[in-house]
Order: sequence, then structure tokens, then C-alpha cells
Amino acid sequence: MELLKLLNTSEIVAQIVSFLLLFSLLRIFAWKPLLKLLDERRAKIASGFKTIEEARQEMENLKAEYQSRLDGATAEAQAKIKEAVEEGKKLSEELKKSAYRDAQKIIDNARLDIKFELSKAKDELKDKIVELSISAAEIVIQDRLTEKEDRKIVKDFLDKIDTI
Amino acid sequence: MGEAGVIQPELPDFFAILADKFKGNIFIKWLYPWEHVGYSLIIIFLLSLIAYLAGRKAKMIPGGLQNAVEALVAGVDDFVCGLLGPKGRRYTPFIGTLFVYILFMNLSGIIPFMKPSTSSWSTTLALALCVFIYVQYAAIREMGFLGYLDHLAGKPRGVMAFIFVLPLLMFFLHVLAELIRPISLSLRLRSNIWGDDLLLAVLANFGIKGLPLLLLNMLMGILTAVVQTVVFCLLSTIYFTLALTQEEETHETKSPA
Repeated sequence: MELLKLLNTSEIVAQIVSFLLLFSLLRIFAWKPLLKLLDERRAKIASGFKTIEEARQEMENLKAEYQSRLDGATAEAQAKIKEAVEEGKKLSEELKKSAYRDAQKIIDNARLDIKFELSKAKDELKDKIVELSISAAEIVIQDRLTEKEDRKIVKDFLDKIDTI
Repeated sequence: MGEAGVIQPELPDFFAILADKFKGNIFIKWLYPWEHVGYSLIIIFLLSLIAYLAGRKAKMIPGGLQNAVEALVAGVDDFVCGLLGPKGRRYTPFIGTLFVYILFMNLSGIIPFMKPSTSSWSTTLALALCVFIYVQYAAIREMGFLGYLDHLAGKPRGVMAFIFVLPLLMFFLHVLAELIRPISLSLRLRSNIWGDDLLLAVLANFGIKGLPLLLLNMLMGILTAVVQTVVFCLLSTIYFTLALTQEEETHETKSPA
């Protein structure tokens, strides 16, 4: 009971009232706005981190996509080059063949020409020989036969030569 | 407010000096018994001013005072929510106000011409009663009046003869515990601070010779002030926890946090 003398009812009431006053004042001034602000900031930071994470993820996705596309493009290019090389080889092969064929043709033609020229020259030679023989015969015989008979004789002679 | 029958040294404080100077003045005579309330009001004014300045233009990017106050707010919020879970947010302002109020009152004992209001049992009992009433209110709001009575009757029950006896016993025990809490809470705080104040007064009476001891005990006084504040708030929070979460634990068979 000695202890109870320390207590003073009106002081207790006054202290309760002043504490409630302080409580309501701090609630209005500090606790409510600041707690709200802390929550908002926390949410904002969290969303910021989330955004960063999302951006990073997206970047990685893009990178992977580009890498795969790049790989695809390289492979395609290599295939194309290979194809082109093969085509070139084939083309050169064909060219070679056709050139060979052409050359063969030209050679054949030249041979034909030569043959033709040769026979022509032979004919001309024959005529010349006929003429020469006739004139030689004229000189020898002094008597001129008719040209027609001469020619016949020489021709026969030449035919004989030919058949030899 | 002296201790009955014993003359005790006291540090000179503002109200005591006033009372000494104007012995005949009727206003001072009326005012002197209210000295603790007066010191409390000074603290209240100071805290409200700080809160007003800090919260007036609260910005997303804090600076200066707002930073300091926000750190305290966040600290108290973490502390309360750590003990009470997410629903502890509702009680953060109450516990936080208690914390700064008691801390400032305790520390004011170090300041010359100030006297810690918490060295008066009336002050601490007033605070403890606020805690007591709020705890009861919160518990009843959480579980309903009958649910609260059920909560007070305790959980282990239902075995034949103990159906009524044990819960009734537990009920009275719990009610007694609830009633004793504000007394123990307030006396602990008051006695620590009062003892500290008294020790400082005794050492101050030694004059120059007592100076090193006085300085040392002032530092100890700061420690005591902080520790006692933390103890008061921690116990208050635990009372909230006990009143609010016991129901949950038994229902969901959770281990206590």
C-alpha cells in the first residue's frame, strides 16, 4: 500500500490524455504518410527490379534469336558457295567438252576442205596435163587433129592413168 | 512527488526551480504537482514538431530529416511485423509512438533542468494502461467477445472432470496475468529510470570529486534509457502477440514464431 501513494489519479488521466494526443498527432503527421510512402517505394523498387529483369530476359532472347539467325545465314551462305562452286565445275566441264567437240568439228571440216581442194587441184592438173599433152602432141604430130578427137584420146589415156 | 517519508536528493529541474523561486505564488503552487505532465507535454510538442516537419512534404526520394524519421519508422515496422506477422502493420503506429515517446522521456533525464517523466509511476502506469486497454480491444476485435473469453480459458481441455475445472482455473489465471502485466510493465520502467535519476542526483551532490563517476553514469543512463524503452516496447508487442496469435497456433498447429 505504501507503493500506491506514488500514484496520482489525475496525473494518470492527464498522462493518458497526453499520450493519446501524441499518438493521434504522430499518426496523422508521420506514421500514416511515411508507412504509405515506404510501401509505395518498396513496390516501386520491386517493380523497377522486375522491369530490369524483364528487359534482361528480353535482351537475352533477342540475342539468342540473332545468334540462331546468324548461324542459319552462315550455313546458308556456305551451302550457296558450295553449290556455286559445283555449278562452276560443271560449267567448266561442259565448256571443255563443247570446246573439244567444236575443235573436232573444225578439224573435220578442214579435212573435208583439204580433200575438196585436193580433188579440185587434181582436176585442174588433169586439165592442164590434157592441154599440155595436146599441145605437145600437136607439136609432135604437126598435124592437127580435131580438138574433139584429141581430147578424147587424152581423156582415155588419163582414165587409164586413173585406173592404174 | 517524493518517496514517502524519505528525503531524497534530486537534480534541479525547471519546475522545482520555479517552485523554489516563487514559493508564495499560487499559480506555481498549482503547477508544481503537474511537473511530470509538463515535461511530457514538452516532449510531445518536440516529437509532434519533428513528425510534422518530416512528414509535411514526404517525398519519394527522401533527404535529411525525412531520412532519419523514415529509418525509425521502417525499423519499428520491421520489428512489429517481425513479431506479429503482416497484420502487425496495424499496431506499428501505436508501438512506434510508445517507443519514441518513452525514449525521449527517458533521455530527457540526461538534459539539465529536465526531469524524466517516466520516473513517475503515474506516467508509466498511464502508458501501460493504454497498452493494456489496446491489447484487450485488439483481442476482442480479432476474436469477438466470446472468442476472447474462450481464448482466456486456455486450450488443453475436454478430459472428463476437467471440462469445467481446468478451463475455469486457467481463465482466472489468465485474467490475473492480464491485470498484472500493466503493473509489472509500468513499475519496471519507472523504477529503472527513477533509480538512474536518483543515482545521478547523488553523484552530482559529490561535486567535482564525483564528476568522473557522474559522466560514466550518464553514459550508463543513456544505455538504461534505450534498453528500458526497448524492453517496454518489446513486452507490449509480445502482449499483442499473445493476445492475437494463440488462437491461430492451436488451429493450424503452427509452431510459435
